[in-house]
Amino acid sequence: MTGAGPPSRFLTSVLRNGVGRYVCQLQRLTLTLSRDAPSSRGVREYVEEKVVDFARQNPGIVLYVCPKKSRVPTIEAEYLNGTVEVKPLTSKTADEVAEIIQTLANQSGLEIMRIRKPFHTDNPSIQGQWHPFTNKRSVLNVQEIGQQCRSSP
Amino acid sequence: MVFLTASLWIRTRKTDRFWRKYDVLQHARHFRGRKNRCFGLAVRVVRRAMVYATNARSLKKRDMRKLWITRITAGALEHSLKYHHFISGLYKCQVELNRKVLADMAIYEPKTFKSLAALAKRRGEEGLVAAKEGKEPEGIFSRYVPYY
Amino acid sequence: MSSYSKAAQQWATFARTWYLLDAKMQPPGKIAEMCKIILQGKHKPVYHALSDLGDHAVVINTRHIAFSGNKWEQKVYSSHTGYPGGFTQVTATQLHRKDPTAIVKLAIYGMLPKNLLRRTMMQRLHLFADDDIPEEIHKNLVELLPQPRKVPKRLNEYTQEEINAFPRVWTPPKDFEWK
Repeated sequence: MTGAGPPSRFLTSVLRNGVGRYVCQLQRLTLTLSRDAPSSRGVREYVEEKVVDFARQNPGIVLYVCPKKSRVPTIEAEYLNGTVEVKPLTSKTADEVAEIIQTLANQSGLEIMRIRKPFHTDNPSIQGQWHPFTNKRSVLNVQEIGQQCRSSP
Repeated sequence: MVFLTASLWIRTRKTDRFWRKYDVLQHARHFRGRKNRCFGLAVRVVRRAMVYATNARSLKKRDMRKLWITRITAGALEHSLKYHHFISGLYKCQVELNRKVLADMAIYEPKTFKSLAALAKRRGEEGLVAAKEGKEPEGIFSRYVPYY
Repeated sequence: MSSYSKAAQQWATFARTWYLLDAKMQPPGKIAEMCKIILQGKHKPVYHALSDLGDHAVVINTRHIAFSGNKWEQKVYSSHTGYPGGFTQVTATQLHRKDPTAIVKLAIYGMLPKNLLRRTMMQRLHLFADDDIPEEIHKNLVELLPQPRKVPKRLNEYTQEEINAFPRVWTPPKDFEWK
């Protein structure tokens, strides 16, 4: 087995987010779109109709709308752990853009890769994990081992 | 009539042949030597790797079971029981834990495993008594329950 | 789990232990079987072939091992140097005279799996011809393992009362002539 396959990780969460209280991990969204380009039409619609509602509903997320001459409208998401994710929004409709933004807002910012096991626990053992002295006789604590065979100095 | 798509054909994506090779090479990127970038070499190695992966899916189940049995053997040996005495004792008492769970228990819940070993051992002793006397001892926890 | 940290748990689980075996009047194959399990780490429920879990085995009194049958004369240890005429064969007696730890060592070496870890496992094996162990090894010892065979008692180790009390099938008459 080589470690050189596609990257993978174990199931984790950011500081047990969601157990007790939930902190939105998405911090900043930058929506770059063109005023004129046909590929930005859906994004323009989104900005006209839905972006204010989204910002009101998510006060924890800073949202910039950045009009700029560009062929490819993009969304740039910055997370609490420093991850920056850029997604192109070329020729997306307003509904599709809303869906993408909602997905980004729900993500934790952890890298998306294959997860090796679908389960995880911080405390695997209740009775205490096995170690070489678990099932040893307690006499060994006080017993002298092989005192007859200690070489004479 | 307005042609919107014709202008897109001026700069198209690369040919199908390129992408066909690219897809194969993507599976060979982590290989060593020229076979991670030369299609002619990579295609054979990727094919072989796929065959290995297909076989390994069934081998993995076998290997894991072997590992669990090795671990249970070690765990049972700590309580001076042989593997087959341990397993057959539990089977006769209708303890329906599989080998994966038993192996996990030997590592993570050693006290539970110890009591299971005690149960299997008791079953073995009482089975011997039952074989000598012709009937099961009465009021015993580890009674043999046959499967019907 | 709760009372100590995960690092300490890790050290505890993968701690190496040292076992003492007394080979006095024991068949070398039986000693090797016990050693092979310890050296591979197959006595631990956390066993995995890729994690290096083998423990140390200290075998004393290899000079006093016991072969059954006529193995001392008939068992042959062969080796070849690779050069023409480099084939050597010695009987168990000759080998044992030359090196009193060699028979046990070869028995264990043959029983270990034939892979790259075999030399590493053999390094964790400590063989002593007699029953004196260096201090730095002695202080590591954790447990004395029970011997696979019962050590028989010699006739000169019995007291006169025990010999007299031993039940006899037949008592020779006083004028019996031993031939």
